[in-house]
Amino acid sequence: MSGGWAAKELTEKGLKTLVLERGHMVRHPDYPTATKDPWDLPYGNRITQETRRRKYVWARTGYPTPANEQWFVEDIENPYVEEQPFDWLRAYHVGGRSMHWARQSYRFSPMDFEANAKEGVAIPWPVTYDEIAPWYDKVEIFAGISGSVEGLPQLPDGKFLPPHDLNCVETDFQKALADKLQRKLIIGRVANLTAPLTHNESPQRGTCQARNLCIRGCPFGGYFSSVSATLPSAERTGNMTLKADQIVYEIIYDNDKGRATGVRVLDANTGAQTDYFAKVIFMCASSLASAYIMLNSTSSRFPNGFGNDSGELGCNIMDHNKPGGSSATVEGYLDVAYTGRRPNGFYIPRYRNVGKDKRNYLRGFGYQGRASRSGFGRFNDGPLMGADLKKAFKEAGPWNIGMTAFGEILPNHDNHVRLDRDKKDKHGLPLLVVNAVVRENELRMQEDMRNDAAEMLEAAGFKNVTVNSDNFHVGNSIHESGTARMGADPKKSVLNKYNQVHACKNVYVTDGSFMPSFGCQNPSLTYMAFTARAANHAVEELKKGSL
Amino acid sequence: MNEPEMMQRREILRRAAWLLGGAISAPAALAVLQGCSAKQEAGAPAAALKFLTAAEFAAVAEIAEILIPKTDTSGAKDAGVPAFIDVALDGLYPAEDQQRFRSGLAEFTTAAAAGGKPFLEQEPAARADFVRRSLESALAGDRKPRPFMLMTRELALLGYFTSQVGITENMEYVPVPTAYHGCVPLSQMKKPVYWE
Repeated sequence: MSGGWAAKELTEKGLKTLVLERGHMVRHPDYPTATKDPWDLPYGNRITQETRRRKYVWARTGYPTPANEQWFVEDIENPYVEEQPFDWLRAYHVGGRSMHWARQSYRFSPMDFEANAKEGVAIPWPVTYDEIAPWYDKVEIFAGISGSVEGLPQLPDGKFLPPHDLNCVETDFQKALADKLQRKLIIGRVANLTAPLTHNESPQRGTCQARNLCIRGCPFGGYFSSVSATLPSAERTGNMTLKADQIVYEIIYDNDKGRATGVRVLDANTGAQTDYFAKVIFMCASSLASAYIMLNSTSSRFPNGFGNDSGELGCNIMDHNKPGGSSATVEGYLDVAYTGRRPNGFYIPRYRNVGKDKRNYLRGFGYQGRASRSGFGRFNDGPLMGADLKKAFKEAGPWNIGMTAFGEILPNHDNHVRLDRDKKDKHGLPLLVVNAVVRENELRMQEDMRNDAAEMLEAAGFKNVTVNSDNFHVGNSIHESGTARMGADPKKSVLNKYNQVHACKNVYVTDGSFMPSFGCQNPSLTYMAFTARAANHAVEELKKGSL
Repeated sequence: MNEPEMMQRREILRRAAWLLGGAISAPAALAVLQGCSAKQEAGAPAAALKFLTAAEFAAVAEIAEILIPKTDTSGAKDAGVPAFIDVALDGLYPAEDQQRFRSGLAEFTTAAAAGGKPFLEQEPAARADFVRRSLESALAGDRKPRPFMLMTRELALLGYFTSQVGITENMEYVPVPTAYHGCVPLSQMKKPVYWE
C-alpha cells in the first residue's frame, strides 16, 4: 500500500528508485484466478486442510480460499513467536496487502489527531488534520474513492466518486437509526471506481464491474492496489527498478557520515546476499516488518535497533478492536432484491464519546455491515428435500442483516515486538517475538460494541437479534501499526512529523509504523496520505541538500 | 444418448477432470458417469475415488440424488455432486470429521438394511422415505459435531451450488454485472435468485 505510493511519488519527482519486494512478482492485469467461474474452482472454493496447515495464521481470518490463496503467505515457512496470541497476517508478493485489502477508505478527523494530547494518552500527534488534509485530497483523487458527502466532524468528507447504493433494507435501517437513536448510517467509502477516475494518470484502470471478486485481483483495475495503480505510474516514469524475491533484513548505517547508506538483502530463492545503496530509504514493509528490519539493524550508534534512541521502536502496537457485533433476520421486503455484487457495505460512523456522549472508556468505534438475501446455506439445517427442496432453490431467500464493530485500541508501551536471536528462520534470520493484548479500555469498549449493535437492530424492528461475540486477538483486524511512532520529542518517538527517523534523516518509515494513535477508521488511506507527503518532503530535502 | 445428454456427460467428464486433479483417467470418468446414471448404482472403482469406497460412493450418490433429484432442473448426479462429496471429504475435513462421516454412513446403511434389503436395492420410494427419516432424526438430535446426514446434505448443497448446472439453472448468474442496483423489484429480475 505505502510502498507503491512512495515509488510513484519519488519516481514522478525524478528520482531513480529501486523498489525491493521480498515476495514474488505480480503484474497488472495478470491475476490467475480473477475470471474463474465458481465451477472452475476446486473444493467449492473452500479452504482445504492442507492450506489450513500451511497458512495457519491466515486460516484464522477465514479469508483464504482456492481463488485467492496466492496472496496469503505460507505461514509455516515464515514462523514468528506468539508470546500472546497474535495474528500476523502477511502478504509476500508485489502489491502486498493492497491486493486483498477491504478497500474501506476513511479520513481520520481533527478529533483523532487531537485525542492523545487532550487526554494525555501516549504522545501527541505532531501533525494536525489541516496539514494532512490536502494529501488526503491528493491520494483520494488518484486512487478513486467512492462515498457520500455527509458533513460529519468525526469523519471528514473527501474527494469522492459517486456512492454505492444502499439496498432497500439498509435504506430503511438508515431511517430507523436516524429517527429512533439519532445515529448516522452511511454507505461505505471504498476504493472502487463507481465512475471513471477524474484524471488521466491511470489508463490501465477501468471502472468497477460489481463482481465483488476484488480479493482475487481485478483485471479491470476496478479497485485500487499498488499493482493496479501506483506501480504502473512509477513504471511509466522510467525511473523505477522493481526487484521481487529480495528480502531486506538490515539497514546499512555509516557511522562517519551519520546516515544510512543502503540496505542489506537476501535473495529469497538463492540466499545470495546483496547490498543496495541509496541516498534516501523508504521503509514500507508494514509495521511489524519495518520494526523487524530496524531492530535487526544494530551498530555502535544504534545498539538497540535503528533509530531507537527513544526505546519505543517495536512498541505501542495497535490494531482495531474487533470483538463482534450483531446480526438479525429481516421480515418482509420479499418483492425486492438487488442486482450486481456490491464490493462494499454500510458504515455506521463513531458516535461514542462524540459531542455530549460520555462513556466509561476513551475513544470509540464504528460498524461495518450489510443486509442481504440469504443464500443456499439456509437449507443446510432445513427439512426440505426432493422436489420441494428443488422448488425452494428458485425462490429468493429471506433477508438478513449483520454488522461488525471496529474500535480504537490505545497505544501501550508494553504491546511490543522484539527479536529472538536464538531462534532462526530458514534464511538464518532471527524470529520476531510478538506480545500485544487488549487492555482495560478496550475491554470496556467491547461491551458497548456488542450491545449497541443489538440495540440498533432491535430499534429497527429486525427479528432474532443475536449478539456475536468473537474472541479477538490483536492482529486479527490486519491493521497492526504503531511500532515506530512519530512525535515532536525524539526522546519519546522514533520518527518526526515527516516520517523521518529522528536520528537518521535519510530514512523514512511510512507504513503503519508511524501512527501515535489509531482512531477506529480503516487506516490505509491515512498511510497513503502520509507516504505521499513524506516522499515529497524527501525530494524537497534532497533538492536543498539536507539529506 | 441424445445430444443434450452427450453434452451433459462431456461437461461431467470435464468436471471430473478438475475434481480429480486435472488429469482425466478412464476409471475417474467411469466413476462419474456411473454416478450420474440412475441404473448403474453399483460402484465406482476405488482407485478413482479420493476418500470413499466404491460401495460408500454409490450410497452417498443415491442419498444426494434423493435430497436434490433431477426435476425440471438438474439433480445432484447431473451436477457431479457425488464426486464433489468424495473430493471434499478428502480435502476439506480433519480426520475426526472424516471418521464420523464414515461411521455415520455405515450406521445409515446398516439401519436401512434392517428390513432385509440393502439400501441400494430398495424401491425408490422406500429409499427416499428412509433418507427423510434419517434427516428428521439428524435435525432433531445434537447437530454439533455435524452428524453424517447433515454433513452429506451440506456437501450436496455446496457441490450443487458451485456446479455450473446448479448455479445457472436455478439462479441468474452474471459474471460481469457492471453495476450494483440496490433496490430492484423482483418482478423486474430475470430470475428471483441472483448469484452472489
